[in-house]
Amino acid sequence: MGKNVFSVPIFFIVFRETLEAAIIVSVLLGLVEQIVRDDPGRLSPSPPPPPSPVEKPEGSGTGSGELNNQPELVHQEDNEVRAKRLIRKMRIQIFAGSFLGLFFALAIGAAFIAVWFTQASDLWSKSEELWEGIFELIASLIIFVMGVTMLRMDRAKVKWRVKLQRAFEGKQVDGRTKAGKWVLFILPFITVLREGMEAVIFVGGVSLGQPATAIPLATVIGIICGLICGFLIYAFASRTTLTVFMVAMTNFLLLIGAGLFSRSIGAFQENAFNNLLGADVDDAGAAGDGPGSYDVRGNVWHLNCCNPESKFDGQGWTIFNAIFGWTNNATIGTVLGYVFYWLAVVAVLIYMKFKEGRTKLFGRESAAGVRRRERAALDRGDSEASVGKE
Amino acid sequence: MWSSLALLAVAVSPVLAGVQEVWWNLTYIQDANPDGLAPRRVIGVNGTWPPPPLDVNDTDILVVHTLNSLDKPATLHHHGMFFNSTSWMDGALAVSQCGIPPGDSFDYVIPVNTSGQLGTYWVHSHANGQYVDGLRAPFLVHPQQEKHHYDEEFTVVLGDWYHDEHADLLKQFISVANPGGAEPVPDSALIYFAQNATYLGPIAGTSPDPVTAAVGFNENATLSFEPGKTYRLRVVNTSAFAMFFFWIDGHEMRIIEVDGTDVEEYPIDLISVTVAQRYSILVTARNDTSANWAIHANMDTDMFDTVPDALNPNVTSSITYNSSAPLTDLGFVDEYFDVPDLDLVPLVVEPMVPATKTVELEVLFDTLDDGTNRAMFNMITYNSPLVPAVLSQVTLGENATIQEAYGPYSIVLDHLEVFDIVLKNGDAGKHPFHLHGHKMQLIGRAEDYTSDDPSLNPPIVEGQANPVRRDTVQVPSMNSVTMRVIADNPGVWFFHCHIEWHLEVGLAVQFVEAPIQAQERNGIPQVIYDQCQAQGIPTSGNAAGHVSATDLTGLPLGPFPQILGWRPKGIGAMTGCVLTATIGMLAVTWYALGGHISEAEMEHEARQQQEAKEKRGKFFGLLKQKA
Repeated sequence: MGKNVFSVPIFFIVFRETLEAAIIVSVLLGLVEQIVRDDPGRLSPSPPPPPSPVEKPEGSGTGSGELNNQPELVHQEDNEVRAKRLIRKMRIQIFAGSFLGLFFALAIGAAFIAVWFTQASDLWSKSEELWEGIFELIASLIIFVMGVTMLRMDRAKVKWRVKLQRAFEGKQVDGRTKAGKWVLFILPFITVLREGMEAVIFVGGVSLGQPATAIPLATVIGIICGLICGFLIYAFASRTTLTVFMVAMTNFLLLIGAGLFSRSIGAFQENAFNNLLGADVDDAGAAGDGPGSYDVRGNVWHLNCCNPESKFDGQGWTIFNAIFGWTNNATIGTVLGYVFYWLAVVAVLIYMKFKEGRTKLFGRESAAGVRRRERAALDRGDSEASVGKE
Repeated sequence: MWSSLALLAVAVSPVLAGVQEVWWNLTYIQDANPDGLAPRRVIGVNGTWPPPPLDVNDTDILVVHTLNSLDKPATLHHHGMFFNSTSWMDGALAVSQCGIPPGDSFDYVIPVNTSGQLGTYWVHSHANGQYVDGLRAPFLVHPQQEKHHYDEEFTVVLGDWYHDEHADLLKQFISVANPGGAEPVPDSALIYFAQNATYLGPIAGTSPDPVTAAVGFNENATLSFEPGKTYRLRVVNTSAFAMFFFWIDGHEMRIIEVDGTDVEEYPIDLISVTVAQRYSILVTARNDTSANWAIHANMDTDMFDTVPDALNPNVTSSITYNSSAPLTDLGFVDEYFDVPDLDLVPLVVEPMVPATKTVELEVLFDTLDDGTNRAMFNMITYNSPLVPAVLSQVTLGENATIQEAYGPYSIVLDHLEVFDIVLKNGDAGKHPFHLHGHKMQLIGRAEDYTSDDPSLNPPIVEGQANPVRRDTVQVPSMNSVTMRVIADNPGVWFFHCHIEWHLEVGLAVQFVEAPIQAQERNGIPQVIYDQCQAQGIPTSGNAAGHVSATDLTGLPLGPFPQILGWRPKGIGAMTGCVLTATIGMLAVTWYALGGHISEAEMEHEARQQQEAKEKRGKFFGLLKQKA
């Protein structure tokens, strides 16, 4: 039952994509208030000097230009009302963009999945194991990339803020395009659409090994959880919380990914075995578990129970299988696959942290590390210098 | 080559009067096509196929001078013959001899005159599945006076037929690619007839295949009946795999002989003849000659994993009263059934004597630890011992009575011990079990040997006055059959499933009977030792060729039943998986924590990245942004 109604990988994927979209949208929402209420100069605390207020009127034709008129207004009351109105307008733009993006993503996704399950389903009914293996492999690789990059999501807020500021700055600087007016619409639209498409392709890829009935519930719950978590992060935006959260999520995702990778190898091996037999092993050998139901060559363990694919006692094991890649029939291939997936994760993370200049490797520093150290030294030097002056 | 023959002629001279000699040169014959479907290489005798039928009188000694012109060791097994105290003549490869090496010869001496055996038997190779490739023929022993009265007799030879050679099929059968153990399904079935040691030719006007032109097969074969006469048909199933259901349209049948045991007339509509079984039936001819009638031999397809579209499992032949009359073929019977052989009553009364030993043998098939599907008696699959047990028995001295010396698939019996074989078939298929060198009294059948219900699993009734005796018994799935046997034949006797595929996957045990008496009566000819040595096979010691009774180093064993669950390998692998996953998750944590980047730094980096990106332009600099 478990497998037919709720797909754990799909839940996590949708959850993750929703969360990312939610963070981006929340950054946008936060920005809007900042833009409207605060001095635009505060948006860019670091080197690029704030554009001079003189230039602002030039952008008065654009949506963002409206707010630049603000300093010229005299009455505070008017100011407040105007700002509130403006914020509401901008929020509407953001939500409109988000929902439109979500709508498109869902529409495309629905079409995508519909095609899969109606047109292409007979394609893999013949060599089910092969397709399962292919899709599980794709899914595991995407999860790998997703999981590893997810750890950088705590920087997404900053990244997006910078991105947005630049978008606005650009409008202010050259002012020759009207795109600025739509930026608050387009950005969430594209973001949500992109994350949505990512999720859809994924859900499609992962779900192929699973019945169509397992998708909706997992998707809906994934979206809800993603939104709730997104809101919580927005509301109580502490970086530590976010980091802890990200670590937990990433570990979960990577557990699923390693399991999928291992399962895809298992599926390929079973496909090869079926080809050798000239028939599905359930028909040519013994169905279910036990002697005859699997290839003894390269087998590492085989339990006469606990089969996640069993229709009778697979309930708990299905979930165990979805999260940890559990199998009652492990081969050298699946075990090594699992192990090497994790080793690859470790290697990539070490390299990334090194590349970002956050750690040394065998006493060596990356270019970013050198930059960071120099900047830090510079800051220290400045402060020391200033101290010295006093 | 024939010098041994001269020696033998001297050896048997005291009873020379009754010696019937035949010279069999085992040869390959190319392009035999008995079913008209596919020509293939077969194993024949003296350049012909099928091998000639053997017909002897009960006063004869039959000597088969066998020259092996094949490229593999060969043997001949005269199925059902006792060979009392001369089990080295039994022809079971690796049990009673090492096989006749290619180019060599061996003289099989079958002392029919002293065995007291009569009736219908057959001869076939008992080496490397050669009989599946065609080395098989009926073998009849005629008494001076038959107990039943009939006017004429015919031998009806049934057999399944493969278009590929046994060795090739065996490779596919015993393979990791066949974990379910699906046996090769025959490509067709054959029915042909013999009379007076000659096969009957084809019906005039048919155009048989030139290689086997002298013999009529299936619809090209016919039996000529004359109205009012009574005929004895000796039905022999020479199959590798298939059981046959046999009946004749428009005629009634009465069983009078079963595996060489004459029995009281037993009327029956159809007979089921499993592999290696024989029945004689009396058929009284009709009085009208207005029609000819079909003879049916339908293979039991229950045992076939698949019935290919191209396979016709039901073959027919005919009884001809009048060659111009039409053939009446009534088609199928209502229902197949097995001959209730326990109901048959032998004419020579032999009451059951109490048993002192019970040998329980449970049949199981499974995919074993090498991935191939094997058969097991009591969870042990049979492998040929290195030393044929007949030689172990006479060379082990006092150790010869130690059962372990013969390998784990051996049972040692005392001389004249009465023992029961309780054959429990735990497999889903039906199996024909054959004991060499004896006839077994069938003293009980159970429909379900695991049951407590006495109607399904009745207790053995002691003191039966005259239970039926036969050498090959059919045991349906989950049934058990209890057989009482007297160990009156010193030597080593094979007991196995006669489905050749199942013998090849180890459904066999060997009964080592009366070792001390066997040593006393040892008359193993030198040629047996020579032919072993010629093949590099040791000729003394235990099953592995050692003097010791218990040291079986080097004895081929296995494969063994799979041991599932958590074994050290699996535990190690699981630990490794958990360990790497933990390390991986720690790495994730390590990556996220430490080397903290401040908001300002992040923003700085992000800005730099954005700037770099803008400089680079879209699509990795392929499209330069307008300056």
